[in-house]
Amino acid sequence: MSWQERIRYWTVTLGALAAGLLALAGTPLIHEQLLPDLLGIVVLAITAELLLIRYPLRPEYSDRGIWLSVSTPIVIGVILVYGWQFGVWLDALITLLAGTVTVYLRNTRLRWVAVNTFQSILSAWAAGIATTAIFDTGSGVWSVAAAGALVLGLFVYMLVNGVLVSMTVALAEGVRMRWVLAQTLLSLPRDIVLMTPIAFLAMAALHAYGAVGLLGVLAPYLALRQAFVLAARQQELYHQTIRSLGFLVQRAHPYTGGHLQRVSMWARRVAERLGLPPDRCELVYEAALLHDLGKTVLDERILNKPDRLTPEEWEEIRKHPQLGAEILRDTPFLAPIIPWIALHHERPDGAGYPFGLKGDQIPIEARVIAVVDAFDAMIGGEAPNQRRPHKRPLSLDEALAELEQGAGKQFDPQVAAVFRQVVREWRTHCEAKAGA
Amino acid sequence: MQGAWWALGIAVASIAALAYYAFVVLPARIHRWRCEGLRAFARLIELRTQGRYGKAEPLAELASAVALRLGIPLHERRQMELAVYLRDIGMVAIPYHILNKPTPLTPAERDLMARHAEIGASITEQIPGLWHVAPIVRLHHVVYSEQPDAPLAAHLLSALEDWIRIAESADADTAASVLKQGAGARYHPVVVQAILSEVRQRTLDGVQSLTRSAALWL
Repeated sequence: MSWQERIRYWTVTLGALAAGLLALAGTPLIHEQLLPDLLGIVVLAITAELLLIRYPLRPEYSDRGIWLSVSTPIVIGVILVYGWQFGVWLDALITLLAGTVTVYLRNTRLRWVAVNTFQSILSAWAAGIATTAIFDTGSGVWSVAAAGALVLGLFVYMLVNGVLVSMTVALAEGVRMRWVLAQTLLSLPRDIVLMTPIAFLAMAALHAYGAVGLLGVLAPYLALRQAFVLAARQQELYHQTIRSLGFLVQRAHPYTGGHLQRVSMWARRVAERLGLPPDRCELVYEAALLHDLGKTVLDERILNKPDRLTPEEWEEIRKHPQLGAEILRDTPFLAPIIPWIALHHERPDGAGYPFGLKGDQIPIEARVIAVVDAFDAMIGGEAPNQRRPHKRPLSLDEALAELEQGAGKQFDPQVAAVFRQVVREWRTHCEAKAGA
Repeated sequence: MQGAWWALGIAVASIAALAYYAFVVLPARIHRWRCEGLRAFARLIELRTQGRYGKAEPLAELASAVALRLGIPLHERRQMELAVYLRDIGMVAIPYHILNKPTPLTPAERDLMARHAEIGASITEQIPGLWHVAPIVRLHHVVYSEQPDAPLAAHLLSALEDWIRIAESADADTAASVLKQGAGARYHPVVVQAILSEVRQRTLDGVQSLTRSAALWL
């Protein structure tokens, strides 16, 4: 199934569910005399919705990131004061209207507006069901039950929305759902803490003054938005730092196309198969991208030398793992990957450098990077003078056999076994693609 | 209604806290994050040139103090601090044997070395969130008589880096006299004034704390 088809089925499923929910909600907007209120709320909520924040995903997943809106607290307030039926309709309306405007402003596609609308209907419904279980709609604002329902509503809304958005992104960009989900849900607790005061104020204002009261929420709303913008920025800066350092590695050392990308992807896949937690796997990706950072410090005449290297020159090259670690020494948010970079040339039999550590003394992540990096060098991914003496690039089968031979000596046996499997799967995948 | 007022008070207080967090705490934290990330770039150059260039921490600290004296606004001070970490990054593109040449450089090699500011600026421009720092990186060796209208932060870095270099290789008095001689020609006179008074202040503070600790010991 191509991704277009997958997205089409996904959209239709979501749409059917959302339509069912809207029918279930009925038309509370027209029956009750809420129409003037509704107009005011819709105008305000659309303003909120239009002040979108681009929440960056990891650059390899999607360069577009997720456009996050912060109208959620207002929707939750509405659900608690007027009931979930009203909330579902309101959320559908504002997402649809604001999304349609966004199509013109930000050059997105109408299909995503539809998907977004369906997603918010489902999330609002889930939040409504969860809150009605512990709180009677409209039964006052100043109670513990109301506050509890508010936090619960926010939590359920963000959770359901996060899961649905992750599924959409995973389907559209062809990456694993688990990766995107881990990233989307990581910020959930912080988001709830930030949104609770606004949602409470929105609820109180709606309860006391109706739609006009929402005007009072405007100032704190802008503060909230600022907090989200900056939080998203922090995320972006993290990836920017890694990307720019990766860029420097690439230009310091003339790899043939995509060596670093290949090594990173494979390293992450192997880490996953080994059962490391998702955030560790992401760090393995980062570390694999930067494992040769130390080479930016070395004399490029040695790195680019076409002939065999002298022992002194090898001595220089052998410094690069420690130099890489030294570069990152003062960057606390990259601290976990420093030992992996420093130890990616250690061997389980103790013959590696810089320290000659053995077996379990080497962190598993460093062993993963060592295997993947060596494999890519064998099949000719690295610069010619870094290959082992008098060796032409090996074919995939020869390299796999080499891995098996080196298991226990040069390579960690468990990692090598998992990696062989990953490579075999990758090859069958490629062949299937070529056949089709 | 008593409860209502309490709840309203709590809501208002938490929103004030939110605003403080969003407009004061978070920007400061993000700036620190960025500096920590960029420190890797400074370390890289420091290692590549065996400690002769790129060293950032003393310059960053002293430069922010002098900038405070000059009344440079907060966002420009932060921008300048980022430039401190990035200023020599262009040296990744300067050949290793020129950077580490033990003998004096030939004029041609010196010209090549001088291009590091320009190269660094073009690298900085390619990093999406840092393009606004590029002008300071480009001008961090600016000469006052050539470009008097360059940003004050650039003049500050240009003079202060020379001061630190001379103070380390000779002593603070020599550095001060070099800066005084160059004021109005090579260095921005206002900047020189601010640097010298900051340094004098620090010497006085140092002497005071020394006498204070001596008094404690006696």
